[in-house]
Amino acid sequence: MSFRKSLLALPAALAVAGVAYASSGMLPEDALDLQIKKTNSSSYLIQSPQNLMMMPDNPAWLVAEAGEVLFKQARGPKNASLEQCDFGKGPGVLEGAHAELPRYFADTGKVMDLDTRLVYCMKTLQGFTNDDPAIKQKHGSKSDMMKLQTYIGSKSSGMPWNPPMNHPLEKAMRDAGEVMFYRRSATMDFSCATCHTQTGKRIRASVLPSVYDPADWTKAISWPSHRTSHEEVRSSQHRVLECLWQMRYPNIKNGSDASIAMISFWTDAGRGEPVIVPDLKR
Amino acid sequence: MFKKSPIAALAAASLLLIAGGCSATNAGKSEAAKPAAVAAAPVVAAPVAAPAAAAKVDYTKMSAKDLAEYLIFEAEGYDLKQATQEGTNGRARLVQDEIQKACSLMKGQELDDKSREKVMALATASIKYPEGGIKLGDWKKGRELAWSGYGYRTAHNPDDHEKGTPGGNCYNCHQIATDRTGGDIGPSLTGYGKNRGAGEDMLKYTYDVIYNPHAYFACTNMPRMGASGVLSQKQIADVMAYLFDPESPVNK
Repeated sequence: MSFRKSLLALPAALAVAGVAYASSGMLPEDALDLQIKKTNSSSYLIQSPQNLMMMPDNPAWLVAEAGEVLFKQARGPKNASLEQCDFGKGPGVLEGAHAELPRYFADTGKVMDLDTRLVYCMKTLQGFTNDDPAIKQKHGSKSDMMKLQTYIGSKSSGMPWNPPMNHPLEKAMRDAGEVMFYRRSATMDFSCATCHTQTGKRIRASVLPSVYDPADWTKAISWPSHRTSHEEVRSSQHRVLECLWQMRYPNIKNGSDASIAMISFWTDAGRGEPVIVPDLKR
Repeated sequence: MFKKSPIAALAAASLLLIAGGCSATNAGKSEAAKPAAVAAAPVVAAPVAAPAAAAKVDYTKMSAKDLAEYLIFEAEGYDLKQATQEGTNGRARLVQDEIQKACSLMKGQELDDKSREKVMALATASIKYPEGGIKLGDWKKGRELAWSGYGYRTAHNPDDHEKGTPGGNCYNCHQIATDRTGGDIGPSLTGYGKNRGAGEDMLKYTYDVIYNPHAYFACTNMPRMGASGVLSQKQIADVMAYLFDPESPVNK
């Protein structure tokens, strides 16, 4: 667990004392604990005592550790590591990078999320193509994508979500994502808002997070997370996919602008609340 | 004339794709060269590509609503050709009907009276009644239909209606009988028939609400189980038996 310890840059006590979320990070269980206190134990945050207990032994840490190895390894046709990948805060800077995604990248002229930016670096720096398993396999704890995303994501744990809205494209994507969030369609007339705009409501036994409760919402948008019901680490893109499946929508393309617009909106809705990655979810 | 032909447009588009790929590769090597490479690529590829490049939409010039529609239908966001269980495609699932449009209310937006009346009128007009009137079916079948969340899901894991009967998804949002855990997005229906009786008006009201709840509650979260074709008239009768039958666990 040396990997986890390296994240313990600031003692949690400091944050409890009222200091704003540490810029140098916090273990996810400590960040979550603060949210639980802040919300007076919201039913969404505390719905699984087992998961809360398991947080320090989250199986996702093993996935993150494997991701660190992959990240630093020279790989692909160009035999390069990902250490020069720019996730928005400069080449190789991972601390806090995930907390500021999606964002606009001048080199592609696009707003990109963690998934699409990682793919971009694996192509440009390492020479992988869309058909290589390293890129093609998007889901599951054994995939390179999830190992890398979990590692990179964990480097923002405890830091406040702060996706930039300075570039007009960032704002445009966020705003389109908001429209999509409320847009009802398909067999059951569902939109994201159907399930995610009321506090403490349940689908069967599961307590739902509301987009209007940022202190809860941050846990909902904190991916990668290990999902106990899947026994896999899952990404933001996978969350989009699975919600839309339940909503009876057709398949959404991984990394499409439609998916990134939705992720832009939902990340903006968590602004200022701490990233909890890797998280444990049902 | 050559430029206008669809084949030329297609060729231009694929050239653009190739050029885009190249510029992306170059961009990785040199930070400074990136925007220039992207801008220059279509010109380098072929003059034919220029109109296509000019036609490329500027997301920042569109309204949020227009951009959302563009991302859904034009930007390869969804598999619009994906087959659906009802024999349509992904596009048909995503196109909004009038009720869906009127009810896509954003934060702070409220349904105006005119829209409410329209939604309720459309919903009322959509309801078809069984020949011989509304009767209760088999509560045991209704119990399973109320529990099942199967059916009509597509995306990465399409439901196979040969292997499973689409259900009503009722328990997702309603507590009904107490022997199973239901959600609470909708009101509790525990003791439904016992508390309300099974008079003709109550039967019609319940049938209507299952068939198309917007007839009473404009822009409700509840799906239109009859109007959307998820539940047949016979299946609605079964679900209603589950709600009204004195023998049903709902009323025990």
